[in-house]
Amino acid sequence: MSWRHIYRWDLDKTYLETDFESLRRLVLIAFEKPEEKTNVPGSASLLRELGRDHEDRDPSRVCIVSGSPRQMRRTLEKKLELDGVRWHEFHLKPQWENLRRGRFRAVREQVGYKLPLLLRSRLKTEDGGGVGETLFGDDAEVDAFIYSLYADVLAGRVTTDGLVRVLRAVGAYDDAVDKAAATAEKLDDDDCVERIFIMLDRRTPPGFFRPFGPRVVPIYNYFQAALVLFSGGHLTPEGVVSVTRSFLDAEGHSADDLANFFQDVVRRGHLPATAMQDLGLAVQELSGVPNEAEVIWKSVQKFSDLGASRRFLPPSPPPGGDYEALLAHLRSRHA
Amino acid sequence: MSPGRPTTIALDCMGGDHGPSEAVAAAAQLSIERPDFHLILVGDAVVIGPLLDELEYEPGRLSLRHTDEWVSMDESPAKAIAAKPNASVLVACQLVSDGRADAVVTSGNTGAAILAAARKMGRIPGVRRAALAAVTPTEKTHGPNDDPFALLLDVGATLSASGRDLVTFAIMGAAYAQAISGNPSPTVALLSNGTEAHKGPREVVEAHEMLANLSEVNFAGNVEGLDIPRGSVDVVVTNGFLGNVVLKMLEGIGEVISELANDAYARKFLWRFGLTMLSSGLRQIQQALDWEQYGGAPILGFVQPIIKAHGRSKARAIGNACKVAVKAARADMGREIERAVSRVPAPEEEGAHAT
Repeated sequence: MSWRHIYRWDLDKTYLETDFESLRRLVLIAFEKPEEKTNVPGSASLLRELGRDHEDRDPSRVCIVSGSPRQMRRTLEKKLELDGVRWHEFHLKPQWENLRRGRFRAVREQVGYKLPLLLRSRLKTEDGGGVGETLFGDDAEVDAFIYSLYADVLAGRVTTDGLVRVLRAVGAYDDAVDKAAATAEKLDDDDCVERIFIMLDRRTPPGFFRPFGPRVVPIYNYFQAALVLFSGGHLTPEGVVSVTRSFLDAEGHSADDLANFFQDVVRRGHLPATAMQDLGLAVQELSGVPNEAEVIWKSVQKFSDLGASRRFLPPSPPPGGDYEALLAHLRSRHA
Repeated sequence: MSPGRPTTIALDCMGGDHGPSEAVAAAAQLSIERPDFHLILVGDAVVIGPLLDELEYEPGRLSLRHTDEWVSMDESPAKAIAAKPNASVLVACQLVSDGRADAVVTSGNTGAAILAAARKMGRIPGVRRAALAAVTPTEKTHGPNDDPFALLLDVGATLSASGRDLVTFAIMGAAYAQAISGNPSPTVALLSNGTEAHKGPREVVEAHEMLANLSEVNFAGNVEGLDIPRGSVDVVVTNGFLGNVVLKMLEGIGEVISELANDAYARKFLWRFGLTMLSSGLRQIQQALDWEQYGGAPILGFVQPIIKAHGRSKARAIGNACKVAVKAARADMGREIERAVSRVPAPEEEGAHAT
């Protein structure tokens, strides 16, 4: 089977609004029913739209990699079903096994868990060669780092030796390092990761992600992601409308807010010069969104407000590609 | 204010001694703290954008308006405004004039701010000269909220004012104190070198005579310099030259007291002990003299609000200036002043003492 595109998603804080800042909240999450779980506004709608089948186009593949324990599989799958989301892979962390084997470092550590898993997933995807990928994570942990490293290992910009050095630096266990290295060796070079969206759940300043290069797109909401994905041909105008509507239903933003969100993502260089035209095309279909004419007009104003300062930064990998330096940068924030 | 749009402040980011970084920091902080208003950051987006990207902010509540021209603090206001049609302060005033924003905040060149406001927003009918109104800390509290400060105007917009101008300043100051401090009948006085009606320069004597016959203003006569810190009245009226000297002197005294206390603390153990015992009282004095908390001075006389923050303003002071601007916009300050000015009969010899 051939694939149009692969979308890889994290769950907690990317798809679901999960508050695991305290032990009490952590316990409550474990007992939450599927219908009690709350989506990040617009996430379900976006994932539905990305996974939607289109006539005359290959299907897209949805792969979910979450740090939640495997014991939560039934609840989380049920939640995704309730949201009408389809997926092809769903990976959860073997936390019980980690505890049983005394691998306490692995309980918190994410790079040594997610990276080998992503590489294996890519290797096992039938007819996956040449298929583009878009990845979704958040700023709560180290998603920007894991996804960027994954992308550059696939592209051949990070050698197996380099990968091993980074995995050892993050404290990954030897078997995880060996597995990742073995898988990386088997993969052909394929510069297939288009963009990495990072949901700013913790409101990390977007400039913090500049060392990761413009391939990483920090977003404040899925309205911003929908605009970038539409400009990249991943969403239809109806898809943008659907995401915008569910985002508005959840948060009730004004036309001014939407225009400001639009300007913000243009200003940061993540939308090309044709963004206004793209938006125009998309919002022609905005019949279900309140004050659509106002949204369009105000967005046009905000777009022109940027004047000569407008620029577009095509997605590209971290300048220099020094993942050990990136790791230190990331740790400075999470310290 | 435009219906259906959140109260929006056009913030000129390019003025001030500290450059755009403090204005951008203030805007970022407000975007998180205050969901009830929006900000448009006016200035060089190539500079402002990266500064913003290094901060936590809420993008739905702020946007940028790019311009690559601005007036620096040492430029001649008239020349700069004429030569730079896209100067940030002009663009900010234009946003208000176009109905996209409700008030302007700038910490830049005062003269340029006044000229920009006059050119883009227009003066209130009946107002010939603008006045910069600053709050000064006082011993006595004022109004229903027991505000520990009085209003002093003009502090630098109009260097020499006629008697008629001083009367307009009195009306505008009273209207501002009514709308912003909720003081229903603020007491207003002229600053002079004696409390007697005949004391002072000709324009003060003339203004005294006019105000004494004006029922629209709760006129308390003349006050002397020492009455300002005492807070004998709610609004003190003077010309821009004298007002600016008084304001800077009060600020200087505050800073000197603070420096002297620090110096004494470092010198002798006994003084340090004494100051520690007095620390809570000294802190209160320091707080009262802290100009950053008062947030900037409204330039009165224009149809829409424009707030001038101190040139030395850092993020906190600029943030407070934005809060004052929001309050002035919501109170429909310009219209309130217009109503107050229109109730006063025009003088027979209009313009006779214009400077």
